[in-house]
Amino acid sequence: MKRVVFPLFLALLSATSAVVAQNSASVLEPRGKAERKKPIGTITPPPAGVLPKRNLPVAPAAPSQRETIIRSTSLVKVNATSQGYNPHIPWQKESPGARRGLGVVLAGNRILVTGQMVADATYIELEMPESGQKLPAKVVAVDYEANVALLASASPSKEKEFFASLTPMTLDTSARIGDSLSIWQTGRVGDLIVTPMRISKVMTQGYVVENASFLVYEATGIVRSEGNSFTLPVVKGGKLAALLLRYDSKNQVATLLPAPIIEHFLKDTDDGQYDGFPSLGVELQQTLDEQFREYLGMKGGMKGAFISGVSKGASADKIGVKQGDIILSINGFSVDSRGDYQDPQFGALSISHVVRGRAFVGDKIEMKVLRDGKEIELSGKLLRKQPADYLVTPYIFDRGPNYVMMGGLLFQELSKPYLQAFGSDQQSGAILRLSRIAEHPEDYEKEGRRKLVFLSAVLPTPTVQGYERLGGQVVNLVNGVKVNDLNDLAEAFKTPKDGVHIIELADFPKLLHIDAVSAERDNLKLVGGAYRIGTLKRIQ
Amino acid sequence: MTKHPLLLASAAALLLCTSIPARAKDEDPGASQAIDTNSGEWEGIVNIDVSVLMPDYREPWNAGQPSGGSGTGFLIGKNRFLTNAHVVSNATKIVIRTMSDPEPHAARVVHIAHDCDLALIEAEDASHFEKLKPLTFGGIPKLNTEVIAVGYPIGGERVSVTRGVVSRIDFRPYSHTGVDNHLTIQVDAAINPGNSGGPVLQNRKVVGVAFQGFSGRVAQNVGYMIPVPVIERFLKDIEDGHYDHYVDLAAGDFSIENPAQIKALGLENDGHGVLIADVEPAGCVGGVLKQGDVLLAIDGNPVLNNGLIKIDGELIDMNEVVERKYAGGKVKLDFVRDRKKQSATVTLKRFLPYVKLGLQYNQRPRYIVYAGLVFQPMDRNLMDAHSIRDPLTSYVFDNYMTKKIYEERPEVIVLTNVLPDEVNTYLTGYQQSIVDEINGVKIKTLKDVKAALAKEDERAGFIKIKLLEKGRPLVLKRELAEAAHPRIMKTYNIREASYLGEE
Repeated sequence: MKRVVFPLFLALLSATSAVVAQNSASVLEPRGKAERKKPIGTITPPPAGVLPKRNLPVAPAAPSQRETIIRSTSLVKVNATSQGYNPHIPWQKESPGARRGLGVVLAGNRILVTGQMVADATYIELEMPESGQKLPAKVVAVDYEANVALLASASPSKEKEFFASLTPMTLDTSARIGDSLSIWQTGRVGDLIVTPMRISKVMTQGYVVENASFLVYEATGIVRSEGNSFTLPVVKGGKLAALLLRYDSKNQVATLLPAPIIEHFLKDTDDGQYDGFPSLGVELQQTLDEQFREYLGMKGGMKGAFISGVSKGASADKIGVKQGDIILSINGFSVDSRGDYQDPQFGALSISHVVRGRAFVGDKIEMKVLRDGKEIELSGKLLRKQPADYLVTPYIFDRGPNYVMMGGLLFQELSKPYLQAFGSDQQSGAILRLSRIAEHPEDYEKEGRRKLVFLSAVLPTPTVQGYERLGGQVVNLVNGVKVNDLNDLAEAFKTPKDGVHIIELADFPKLLHIDAVSAERDNLKLVGGAYRIGTLKRIQ
Repeated sequence: MTKHPLLLASAAALLLCTSIPARAKDEDPGASQAIDTNSGEWEGIVNIDVSVLMPDYREPWNAGQPSGGSGTGFLIGKNRFLTNAHVVSNATKIVIRTMSDPEPHAARVVHIAHDCDLALIEAEDASHFEKLKPLTFGGIPKLNTEVIAVGYPIGGERVSVTRGVVSRIDFRPYSHTGVDNHLTIQVDAAINPGNSGGPVLQNRKVVGVAFQGFSGRVAQNVGYMIPVPVIERFLKDIEDGHYDHYVDLAAGDFSIENPAQIKALGLENDGHGVLIADVEPAGCVGGVLKQGDVLLAIDGNPVLNNGLIKIDGELIDMNEVVERKYAGGKVKLDFVRDRKKQSATVTLKRFLPYVKLGLQYNQRPRYIVYAGLVFQPMDRNLMDAHSIRDPLTSYVFDNYMTKKIYEERPEVIVLTNVLPDEVNTYLTGYQQSIVDEINGVKIKTLKDVKAALAKEDERAGFIKIKLLEKGRPLVLKRELAEAAHPRIMKTYNIREASYLGEE
């Protein structure tokens, strides 16, 4: 199996909890700044063998409790240390933080956790809930959009012994609205704490990163965090039905990452080549408004949703879908006026699940659309737009942001994590301009830009005298060369004109000059000097 | 920065006057002088009590919110009182009272200049003030010389005198519009709400008009006055009976400090020349200067690399040369382009797109309501009143100048509201969007909206409103919209379907 290396980011998690925890007033998973700290109620695992007396598992407070202790042999504790890069100081890592969760044992000595659990991980270990026995682990597959990851032992010598007493759990994808599920947590001594939940709603929404929406179950019930809160299994009849994605304690609503998505992920990883979830790349609008329907030529009870946007290079674009089309059916499912289809298991559901949940990259896609009053059939293959294919990188995990430093001028590729690290307060000036490019990259993509390169900051060196307060300007040309990504920029800096680098910006003050020799001299000082940059560029 | 114009809100303690600042017998600016309120000499410093109607940019068909305030003014000529524009902005009723006489005298605005926050008012009946002695102007006071501020600030009803020194002379933003920068003088005499429009005196001569300060949480003992050059410019501008506003080069400059930049631009390394980083094509140097030019001198006055020039021995922003001129005046520019020296003379004019970015006053909000859809032109007042959060609309406002959006859309029209009715119930949720086209007509001004709504779309019987970057058009059946329109007007108590401004 191949480890999927997505460009990654942590800033989304650490910068704005509001963005991550979309509709939950409070979340069970500690996020935002709190992520750096231990979750409330976390029990620091005592070193094996030196348990203080009061923590002895054989001394429960109430005798009756001992009798009811049940255990599961399919759960292990997962402890991960994570450390992301600072989006604004890209050569620097933030302080490490701990995350704890429960992993589900799957066949083949694999452990399933959420992607969030292992994002930017520096060290991962598995721990037996009862004995405290530990095993170093590694990520063998991860999808940060679908928020699932598969772990395996990182220590071949200890693997067999560790897994000997564990039994794999299987998936149950049959859950539907009204079903009762239970969230499993482990107590201090490995005892199982079971919380009942009932599925009240099934829909699609974004998980942790924003650029894709997936199937979720919403379940109601009261969950008390036992500390292992980053990943919790949700079980139906002894089988894994979902993982807990977030919990809104105010409304007592848990959002669950459902087994069908987990199954899709596991199937995809089976062949050793992970393709990810396909996407359609359309934006839909309802056609409930009679006047709009009449205008569009939708007769009588005709169903279908208005396509208000088609993402460049995505599946829909490739098969010829146009903005203004009305989608009537997809892969045999009729589309209603809200953009939903009737799922045999879940009822009305966004058509995004037809593509993401029910199909794989490379599968055939068939769509029927109404265009200029005529029905037309379109078909082709389903694709996936990789994070690297976006002008503005949607998320970055497990690596640092790309940058080029030249004599004190810091250039970066624009990414969502970079913008999100500013929080929601600074929505004017350069941040507003850059945010808009992130929302509407079309014009820049048309220019042939692959990434948006901008001057993000200026470190005060003699070379950049007079430019210290700049930041946020989009780079157009350097030494006469069009800058379509950081590679172009690095190349362009090899050919100064008469010993001077000429940097042309899209924004005020539009034109900068720096001395090429002086810049090289300052580069050396930046690497070793007070700023300890280490390396002058990162282009991955 | 929380700069506040120093108009005293009527809710707070205000107005009324009696005592008078003293006559200064001693010419030594450092000496303190006793005040004789009966001398009559200071009787020309008056309290101005104003009733105001704040225009309502949210419900633009409404008259607005009545309010009031109080400030200070002073006699500068026959029945001519100088005060701040912000004291008498949006006024519906103005009365003045002198120090020794509580009788209110109705007054009216003669000229008002929002861009430099000055106004000239007169009493409706001049007879009462005929015998009063006008105050006279001095010049720019030196740093660390003493001044007194006289007026009717918060903290009591009678006249107040505060004393301090001249702390700084600088180019600063004028908070009344928020976008204009002129010469200001900072003093450490306490200047508080209600001082606005009052004189700041040195040796019995007016050296400035108190007008703004910082909130106490931001800075202490920082008050600002409008200095005499700005006042004189205003008074000269209105001599012809009309205020022509400030003129502007409408170009952005960037300091040339970097040795590589000096070398690459072919400049002599003598500390002169500022980079022209941005030129407004519609401004007075549009087509004359180009981005990348280096300005060496303005009217023969050498420009330093940070954009400063020397006037009367003081370093000051080069725009001061332009500041002191009037619409139609000329200015000579010496600059370097492609390493060659060139000269050009440009005729100065006001730069209008700028005005929309600042707060505007004494304007009735313009709008069109049709079938419950409310269209309004974008400006600062609208952005504030509607607390615009739509990212595109905020972006367009923020970059109206920097991205030259004004060239494509002289007026950006915003669908500010949808007043719910059966006919438009599916369109609620599109508020705050920018209107791109109506019935195929590109919308560049509010008047275009009216004409375009009347026009037939290519799909007969429909009205199609295309919003900027919203993916789908808003569609109304004309027949239904026409029927709903009068009903909505009645329901929401709107008496006029539009106000397009004075013809």
